[in-house]
Amino acid sequence: MAQTVNAPTLPPPPLSAGALGWARENLFGSRLSGALTLVSAAAIAVGLWFSLAWIFFSADWEVIVKLGGRFVIGQYNAETSCPGQNCFWRPQAGLLMATALLGVFWAITASVSVKRAAFAVALTSAAFAFLPYSLNEMGWDVRLLLLANVPALGAGWAIGRHTPLNTPSRAIIASVGAFLLTLLLLRGGFLGLEPVVVEKWGGLMLNILLALTGIVFSFPLGVGLALGRRSNLPVLKLLCVFFIEVMRGMPLITLLFMSQVLVPLAFPENFPLNSVTRAAIVIILFSAAYMAENVRGGLQSLHPGQAQASRALGLAAWQTTLFISLPQAIRNVIPALANQFIALFKDTSLVYIIAMLDIVQIGRAFIQGNTEYLLHARELFIFIAVVFWVFTYAMSYFSKRLETHLGVGQR
Amino acid sequence: MAQAPRVLTYQGIPVWRHVVIIQWTLQIVSAVLVVALVAWFFSNIANAIQDRNIPYGFDFLSRQYQTPIGEHFIPYEPSDTFGYALFVAATNTAIVAVVGVALATALGIAVGVARLSSNWLVARIAGAYVEFFRNVPLLIQLLFWFYIVLSLPPTRNTHVLFGRAYINNAGVSIPWPLPTGGGDLYSGGLAALAPYLWLASAAIAVAAGFVVHRILTRREIETGRASYPIISGTAAAVLIGAVGWVALMIVNGDAPFAISTPAPQGAFGRIAGGFTVRAGLFVLLIGLVIYTAAFIAEIVRAGIQSVRKGQLEAARALGLSPIGVLRLVTFPQALRVIVPPLISQCLNLTKNSSLGGAIGYSELTSVTITMTQTAPAISLFILIMASYLAMSLAWSLAGNLYNWRIGFKGA
Amino acid sequence: MTTAPEETPASDDIIVFKDVHKWFGSFHVLRGITTSVRRGEKVVIMGPSGSGKSTFIRAVNRLEEHQRGQIFVDGVEMTNDVRHIDAIRRDVGMVFQSFNLFPHLSVINNITLAPIKVRKLPRREAEQAARALLERVGIPEQAEKYPAELSGGQQQRVAIARALAMQPNVMLFDEPTSALDPEMIREVLDVMRELARSGMTMMIVTHEIGFAREAADRVIFMDEGTIVEEGPPKEFFINPKEERTKLFLHQILTH
Repeated sequence: MAQTVNAPTLPPPPLSAGALGWARENLFGSRLSGALTLVSAAAIAVGLWFSLAWIFFSADWEVIVKLGGRFVIGQYNAETSCPGQNCFWRPQAGLLMATALLGVFWAITASVSVKRAAFAVALTSAAFAFLPYSLNEMGWDVRLLLLANVPALGAGWAIGRHTPLNTPSRAIIASVGAFLLTLLLLRGGFLGLEPVVVEKWGGLMLNILLALTGIVFSFPLGVGLALGRRSNLPVLKLLCVFFIEVMRGMPLITLLFMSQVLVPLAFPENFPLNSVTRAAIVIILFSAAYMAENVRGGLQSLHPGQAQASRALGLAAWQTTLFISLPQAIRNVIPALANQFIALFKDTSLVYIIAMLDIVQIGRAFIQGNTEYLLHARELFIFIAVVFWVFTYAMSYFSKRLETHLGVGQR
Repeated sequence: MAQAPRVLTYQGIPVWRHVVIIQWTLQIVSAVLVVALVAWFFSNIANAIQDRNIPYGFDFLSRQYQTPIGEHFIPYEPSDTFGYALFVAATNTAIVAVVGVALATALGIAVGVARLSSNWLVARIAGAYVEFFRNVPLLIQLLFWFYIVLSLPPTRNTHVLFGRAYINNAGVSIPWPLPTGGGDLYSGGLAALAPYLWLASAAIAVAAGFVVHRILTRREIETGRASYPIISGTAAAVLIGAVGWVALMIVNGDAPFAISTPAPQGAFGRIAGGFTVRAGLFVLLIGLVIYTAAFIAEIVRAGIQSVRKGQLEAARALGLSPIGVLRLVTFPQALRVIVPPLISQCLNLTKNSSLGGAIGYSELTSVTITMTQTAPAISLFILIMASYLAMSLAWSLAGNLYNWRIGFKGA
Repeated sequence: MTTAPEETPASDDIIVFKDVHKWFGSFHVLRGITTSVRRGEKVVIMGPSGSGKSTFIRAVNRLEEHQRGQIFVDGVEMTNDVRHIDAIRRDVGMVFQSFNLFPHLSVINNITLAPIKVRKLPRREAEQAARALLERVGIPEQAEKYPAELSGGQQQRVAIARALAMQPNVMLFDEPTSALDPEMIREVLDVMRELARSGMTMMIVTHEIGFAREAADRVIFMDEGTIVEEGPPKEFFINPKEERTKLFLHQILTH
């Protein structure tokens, strides 16, 4: 030991530190690893070369430009859907509300990831206002509303800072309210707004609306089913188990199709249910079954002492469930719930089975109707895939952030 | 405290304050509400059947379906019954499920292990694969592959691979061993029987190989002498199989199987011979395998990472080789974590095969949807539900069987 | 069975057990417990594991439901009447071996939850009281932290503050120091001593003989679901009468 006291700090042996050392360790660690590196590097180089050549020279992105705004709102603003009026501003108003609410959440949580999300939405929306006119013939009014997302974000932040709308629970209630208001606005039929039947809603807007509807309504239903499955009343428990297992055993697409035939039968004749509502009901029920299993897993992971401590403090059973068990159970399964929401968003693409024109079907219908573009279907579907990927990747990114954020105070 | 009337008390306590009574009342009320809701749906369905003349019942199963099914692996004619047609559709789904699961598991394990590779580049490529294909809806991927295959040349200008295989917009044709002799078992004599005889001898050969392997492994463990169980077992199996082959060749004058090479025939260049995977199945398999493998890769990675580091260190300290560590220590432990979620991916793949209808593969859901035009939807719904639940059950059974085997070997 | 005045026991007995029985399935855990605790009395309960001592104190606020006999707390009988259950639970605070703090709530919210939700105190008032309690248990600076950021001893002191926030007349302690490292046991016992001096009625299941000697008015020794022996600590530790008590004391003193 005595020797080390005066031992000088030596530099590491050559080729064990720095970029070269890193490469030696991680790319050429062994003969096999080196070979793998060379092979995969070659594959990447060739793949990149052909992809870039294809993207910039052989691919024809005209099909994307041609569809333009229809990807976003489908036929919503078409003359046949919204005669005599310009209806584009209604989905735009929904977007503005969403941006403002993100601003509110940013002000309340002061979280970096919420801030990033808010700016991403506002700036991306605004950026679309600067697309050249020759590309999509977008009017100045549309562009102005897109640009308005930036001030909307600021306004939302100010609201979250300086008004009573300053707690997470209030902001969540406001979000649900804004969502329902958006649905109402899109539907129209009041204050001189031309009604737009739901069958005409389409594009990415439809995917997002269906996913949000699914999340908003399936969440409480799923929690209820989870509690029902854990109840000690046999009838209730059996019904919940049966419902959950049947829903989880069937493909969504089968349920969606059958909903068009069977759901009307389960309601009295002339019950006002359009095909979109029926689809939304099925998506909610389907998603709730999966949600229930996740929440049940969370409830099972809780220590029984938690509920005992709560009861000993004098909280009633419902208060214990609401304030102690559920918050912990849900927080324990955030990753699973996030995956569930991502799956739900991806599943909205299945509405093709009931002839709804979501973003995928907008593209598909275009190819089928214009066979001269048949060879450019791949450009189209790559574009749609990237759009979906951006959304789902953002969702999984923010769920991970939320998990670490809420991880504070957890063992 | 005011005295409550006697009828409203239980054990001397007013009933509205009695814990047991409150609990039971709440539970019974909730159960009654749920049951009432379900009953309402059923009575509506019953009324609809009566008032709106909705067809029901299962008589249709023995009627002729009179509609062709695009693809079938067992003989089918349009004059066959609805019941048989449903069975044909179910086999189509089952074949996709089994082949898809086998391929997806293989690819998934490869990608999952690659994600944990010490080679940075390989790990990154695998990670990018998972992040992309997992987050894009399966339907988009299927449509992408569908239009790629659609843009392939038609059969008369087919692409030729290695001079022996063909790929065109009708599918892929590859050389395949087909039984020689062929024809009727009764009139064909030994020539028709030979392929079956050889399959039987092959089964015996494999069984013998396993027995040899087992005996030699035991001998190696007991005596400590190197006995080469794997080599000897394989040799025994190959030897018995070859003897059967040669014997049949001598007796019959022809090999029991011969490689059939596909070749274009006739004016339209239809490909005959070999084995043809038709476009619908081909696209569905590519899509399902690539999509599901991304999920399986994550499961495999999590499973391997769940094996505690101390286990690996202990194994290495015992002097096991890296391969030995992986084979004898890591995998057996990781499998316990991997198998349950893997089973649920098998289930998902089976359910996702219902998207086959979108790309022209006649699986269970798409055939059922066509049937709703000429058969009662309610009955079809019950049948399709039962079929999917049966397939789910089959996968769960496989998983439980595995769990039982593991439990048998000790936890 | 109701709490008619003539059945209410003498008012200086705050907790009364009359022939209380409890079974877990066919296992007879409490075999006729009869005892009472005076207002302001500190009772320590000892006994080997499985003797029913935990079940005994958990029966006081019905975390374990007794099946025969009667339990009175502050003149209210523990029955199936929700009003009685709520009244007793509000009157009785409890501290657990595993702390059972709510991990998703900050320390201050752990303490104010029940006062706000059950006693309907305004948040500001509840928080003031909570800070005063944190001061009292010696960790005023930890109010905004989450339970997982505290040491075991600090967590247990928060748990004591949380129970005190409901202004109980009785405090139950179910092995409050068993899950703690030795250096943290002291800080928790100090808080409990201070509480004892303030005149709180306390029932404590513990193995801390030093604490029992110093703070208890009475020690109850339980074995196999019955009270084997009870008495003032001096007598109990120096002159136990029963063989089983002697054996038990011998084991824990010489281990």
